[in-house]
Amino acid sequence: MSDTVSQDEGGDQRRHADTAPGDEFGQEDIGAGLRGYSIGLGLAALLTVASFVVLRTQLVWAPAIPLALIVFAIAQMGVHLVFFLHITTGPDNTNNVMALAFGVLIVVLVVGGSVWIMGNMNRNMMPMGPTAPMESGMPGH
Amino acid sequence: MLGKLSLSALPLDQPIPLIAGAAVVVVLLGVIGWIVFAGHLPYLWKEWITSVDHKRIGVMYVVLGLVMLIRGFSDVVLMRSQQAVAYKSPGFLPPEHYDQIFTAHGTIMIFFGAMPFIIGLMNFVVPLQLGVRDVAFPTLNSVSFWLTATGALLVNMSLVIGEFARTGWWPSPPLSEVTYSPGVGVDYYLWAIQIAGIGTLMSGINLTTTILKMRAPGMSYLRMPMFCWTALASNLLIVAAFPILTATLAMLTLDRYLGFHFFTDERGGNSMMFMNLFWAWGHPEVYILALPGYGVFSEVISTFSSKPLFAYRSMVAATMAILVLSFMVWLHHFFTMGPGGDVNGIFGVTSMIIAVPTGVKVFDWMFTMYGGRVRFTTPMLWSLGFVVTFVVGGATGVLLAVPPADFVLHNSLFLVAHFHNVMVSAVIFAGFAGYGYWFPKAFGFKLHEGWGKAAFWFSVTGFVAVFAPLYVVGLLGMTRRMQHYDVPEWRPWVLAASAGVIVMAIGVVCQIVQLVVSIRRREELRDVTGDPWDGRSLEWATASPPPAFNFAVLPEVHGEEAYWGVKQAARDQRRLREEPSYEAVEMPLNSATGVICAFFATLVGFAMIWHIWWMAGLGLLGAFATFVIFAWRDRVEYEIPAETVARFDRANRATRAEALASLRRRAA
Repeated sequence: MSDTVSQDEGGDQRRHADTAPGDEFGQEDIGAGLRGYSIGLGLAALLTVASFVVLRTQLVWAPAIPLALIVFAIAQMGVHLVFFLHITTGPDNTNNVMALAFGVLIVVLVVGGSVWIMGNMNRNMMPMGPTAPMESGMPGH
Repeated sequence: MLGKLSLSALPLDQPIPLIAGAAVVVVLLGVIGWIVFAGHLPYLWKEWITSVDHKRIGVMYVVLGLVMLIRGFSDVVLMRSQQAVAYKSPGFLPPEHYDQIFTAHGTIMIFFGAMPFIIGLMNFVVPLQLGVRDVAFPTLNSVSFWLTATGALLVNMSLVIGEFARTGWWPSPPLSEVTYSPGVGVDYYLWAIQIAGIGTLMSGINLTTTILKMRAPGMSYLRMPMFCWTALASNLLIVAAFPILTATLAMLTLDRYLGFHFFTDERGGNSMMFMNLFWAWGHPEVYILALPGYGVFSEVISTFSSKPLFAYRSMVAATMAILVLSFMVWLHHFFTMGPGGDVNGIFGVTSMIIAVPTGVKVFDWMFTMYGGRVRFTTPMLWSLGFVVTFVVGGATGVLLAVPPADFVLHNSLFLVAHFHNVMVSAVIFAGFAGYGYWFPKAFGFKLHEGWGKAAFWFSVTGFVAVFAPLYVVGLLGMTRRMQHYDVPEWRPWVLAASAGVIVMAIGVVCQIVQLVVSIRRREELRDVTGDPWDGRSLEWATASPPPAFNFAVLPEVHGEEAYWGVKQAARDQRRLREEPSYEAVEMPLNSATGVICAFFATLVGFAMIWHIWWMAGLGLLGAFATFVIFAWRDRVEYEIPAETVARFDRANRATRAEALASLRRRAA
């Protein structure tokens, strides 16, 4: 939604101090922007091709292939963040970096925690097939 | 044509829901009829229903919250009277009805009582405290509110049409799967929560953006009032946690509607995954509600102790620590359901650690009062009542965080007493403290103190009288949600809790009387200057009620307590600041987008609950068309001319100059 809210000069100053992902950069010329996106596209394509190549050839030691794929996937995310979402370390990007860090933290906690908890439960709980006697009653509830 | 809907959905054979439902419908129709025939509809439509003013939307949120709190309380009266008579007898509520009541009580109190109450306070207060003119996305704000109202409407429809869930307020599978709950009850729950949840998520995004991007010039993060900090943390939690709930309930919906097997017993479904995901949202939700409550207490205690908040920065740090820690404790809701000792141990420890920043806050509040001139107004009484009861609830929480203790107490009334003890004091007491504290700002007159104090004392006494016996009877082994029981040792405690409900009900009546009396005597309770409590933050720098544009000129902030500094300077120099130069103000136009979206969302929800597919399609199409029409609108804002702004501000400055002069006369 694009309701514009009246902003005073202070608001305008802050707007320069904080760019949103996808904001147009007025100062940059089109050539620089195009170059950035092209490099990004190239790197993204390279990483995609590389993961297929690794899988099909003997370049990497076979048991290490999943690890290599994870590395490529994380690098892919990095390329997207830097070249397409324009996440930088500059002061105009503090909110974006903080939001990204918070998001990553929550995803790691919830996904990692869920995997850990559910795995632990699976190891702990007796399988309750229809034939298993229910001597200890229903868990929980 | 009408899916599963037929005349048998009406409770024609059950007298209690029939009479209750009929009474509600009659009252509702009466109110609507009165509004229409007395000619109030144009006013309501223009000034409230289509308003995008954050203050109006905040007030509507609070009204929704208060009405639904009373609705949830009526469930309490039913449950407690059932348990009072159901000793060795079936009581007056059959089990299938009793189960709906405790489910509705939890659902309504969390999603439609506490959430709108707290979001309403944030909506009203945050832009005023930040010194800005509205939230970041005013029309989105209106959509958020009306979607929340849609959810509340759907839950209440289930009273008359069909039934509500019988699963408890977290609809745990496999009980909530279509095999064991074939009726529409769980579907009412799912669609009401999903639609309201969209509203909550958008509200969270809106307020987060407002706080991060739209502060008055000079208001750096560490100059924000404490309530804004807690609102920031709470809304970040909404943005992070509500998608988990939405996804989890969407998976349950797929199970129920399209035969998926996310949480079923067969074909690889895993019902514990529902527990895990639900509480991964559920525990942050506790802090979504409690953190703004802590913010309210910080403001109230500081103002009425006539002192700055003690150790402001430690309070900020504690708030942000709770924000992160609240995502690390969710397993303590199901210690007993299968995890091993190592997992339980770690989550037990994190659950205890989260008590540390909370403890820091309690000490900060106490030291704020220490050495201050404490004024025992009604909001201050709620805050003091909170500190005392909350510490008890917190202590029992640390006890329950010990996994072996939890194995004894899980799902007992001790647990029920614990979480009511913390949630009621941190959220409902905060709500009422904030309600009394900001009421004069919203409406221009104070609430009656005598009735407010009566409401406080009856509510707190009743609250202790209900939950102290529940702790005891929980230790005696009584589990939650019992429709009847036959253990003689429990009987006196259950009766004591039921008696406590009567005292609490007197408190509720006092609240209503307080409002009526205050409205009738509003001239003598009038807040002339806009600063009735000798406040310290920016909301007190403008008139009561504030104009649509909040501030004639956006305030410059020079310190931690923005308005206190200005006021002290005025007192020292014995005159107000120079009159600023006024400029025209652009404000967003009213929009019916919110209420029309909500109308179509109600259609979608109702149609999905009753499997009326064409109506669901129609509703979705209508909602999308509403969005398209809004997106292509030509005019966005209207202009308030500089003379109007100046006239308004000069009137307010005159009252403040008069107050300053009388202060000087008194000092002389």
